[in-house]
Amino acid sequence: MIAPPEISPSVLAPIGFTAIGAMVILVQDALLTRGSSLLGRRVTPAYAGTLNAFTAMLFLSLALYVTVVAFASGDSLVFQLANPVYQQDRFGSFATALLVVVGILTCALSVSYLSELGINHGAYYALVLASITGAIFLVGAIDLLGVYVGLELMTIPIYVLAGFDRARLRSNEAAIKYFVIGSFATAILLYGMALIYGATGTTSFGAIRDAFDPTSPVAMLGVGLILIGFAFKIASVPFHQWAPDVYEGAPAPITAYMSVAVKAAAFTALLRFVATAIGPETEQLSDVFAAFAVLSMIVGNLMAVIQENVKRMLAYSSIGHAGALLIGLVTGSPGGYAAIAFYLVVYAFMNLGAFGVVIALARRGQECERVDDFAGLARTRPGLAAAMTLFMLSLAGIPGTAGFMAKFNLIVVAIRADMIWLPITLVVTSVISLFYYLRIPVLMTMREPSEPPSRTGIASGEALALCLCAAVVLFLGFFPNHGMLPWLGLELPVLDWASDSVTDLFGS
Amino acid sequence: MIPLDHVIGLSAVLFSLGVIGVLVRRNLIVMLMSVELMLNAANLAFIAFNRLWPGTDATPVLDGQVFVLLVITVAAAEVAVGMGILLALFRNRDSADPEEASLLKW
Repeated sequence: MIAPPEISPSVLAPIGFTAIGAMVILVQDALLTRGSSLLGRRVTPAYAGTLNAFTAMLFLSLALYVTVVAFASGDSLVFQLANPVYQQDRFGSFATALLVVVGILTCALSVSYLSELGINHGAYYALVLASITGAIFLVGAIDLLGVYVGLELMTIPIYVLAGFDRARLRSNEAAIKYFVIGSFATAILLYGMALIYGATGTTSFGAIRDAFDPTSPVAMLGVGLILIGFAFKIASVPFHQWAPDVYEGAPAPITAYMSVAVKAAAFTALLRFVATAIGPETEQLSDVFAAFAVLSMIVGNLMAVIQENVKRMLAYSSIGHAGALLIGLVTGSPGGYAAIAFYLVVYAFMNLGAFGVVIALARRGQECERVDDFAGLARTRPGLAAAMTLFMLSLAGIPGTAGFMAKFNLIVVAIRADMIWLPITLVVTSVISLFYYLRIPVLMTMREPSEPPSRTGIASGEALALCLCAAVVLFLGFFPNHGMLPWLGLELPVLDWASDSVTDLFGS
Repeated sequence: MIPLDHVIGLSAVLFSLGVIGVLVRRNLIVMLMSVELMLNAANLAFIAFNRLWPGTDATPVLDGQVFVLLVITVAAAEVAVGMGILLALFRNRDSADPEEASLLKW
């Protein structure tokens, strides 16, 4: 007779809400027969899409609520004590909350975009929720098994979503490229896991830490392969070539989701793996991360300068930001990890905002993504132009915006760790990045509009998402740590939350 | 019994063949097969290493073998999605040559 294992089901609440939400949306979409009427309105594809998006946001909000409660309680819980695979702690909850908010914003940005492009299918939101489920599982994984399953559950829906615009050849191409490169990276990662299992006899992070021997070639080869796999996922040079192609071809909301959520989830999992499974002080690792960081910052920012397509430019800029984030990993200190967590939050909102403007400009069956499309926008669409300017300034790291605070934090931590060249590279490449980021505000204000504005109105979901992103970027730019919303009696010390969350990893 | 070294050696050879296949072959279906070869090389390594860490007779530890079961399941889902994407590409253009998928270039 086997005793039932001791389990704490509440740990699975965020995953449960997103996973159930995905299934509910599939059923709901099937039940919404086109042409019948519901709540006094005829069911059109656009109406059904709006309802599906609302269901998705409802379930994501529930997941956000349970995550915030878990974060506030500060407990570290595992689903079951024997062979734990998934752990809910403050670090995981911090990342989960970010991922869920990104999911809500992605859904809000998608509604009218999908109608404009005529690809309004219910499966879209179900796939987004499935992908977020995988991402949440990935950030809480404390076993190689969990990392593998979470990573695949996160990526496989994105393969489909990247090719969601099935009739467009560019979307097909983006999907097939992402699929081949993505599964190639996963296979490399998996072989690395097999080698680590061979060297240590376990797949659990804590036990790997005890048995890990940095001088064993098999173990180090395994760690190397795992790092290559992660480098593909976060799009760090020299494993970045897929990113611009995929970002350009995929539907814009999916590009936004990919550039933010996948990067955040992969980075979080990498931090947890390095900190709890192999030890952040391993010297060979810092050298590798430093090389990746410098290469990513230089290549990403230089290549972005010559791009004529905004989505492609943002892809190269995201490679540059991945390089900046890696600086925190090089330090291997709690401060560096907290700086990464804060940077990920800031990056999420400013990048989603920038893509949000591109999304809001899309018109019937066509995207508005050439740099020239932004000419004269300040006259025709002043609100969008102002928002885009703010996000560009923040991505470049101008003081007064959240992007500055994030970079400033990283530089301080790096200098405290006696590094010179990495912060210098960050500053120099940020100056280079001004060139291509500011090009868009300049075009918007200085040039005459070449053609009539693409779309005159803005959908309410897009407006809300853009306002939220802009508000967060400004708010964190001025109050990274002393933020308060007095009329709500709410304190928002985001930096403190970030540093609190990483203490879980360092066991103090 | 076949020595462990031989099994690991075979798995390393299979993995290398897979990597070379993805990098060199210019047919999307063959590239997909090469990725599968890499995954199965990892599976083989997991099974072999499980023999190195068997636990005790009373409480056998089967971490590696459990891992393989999950990998097989997930890889099946991955291939299904991949074939779907390939099919969508074929509908729009009758070719499996990745060189022709070149609309997106820097």
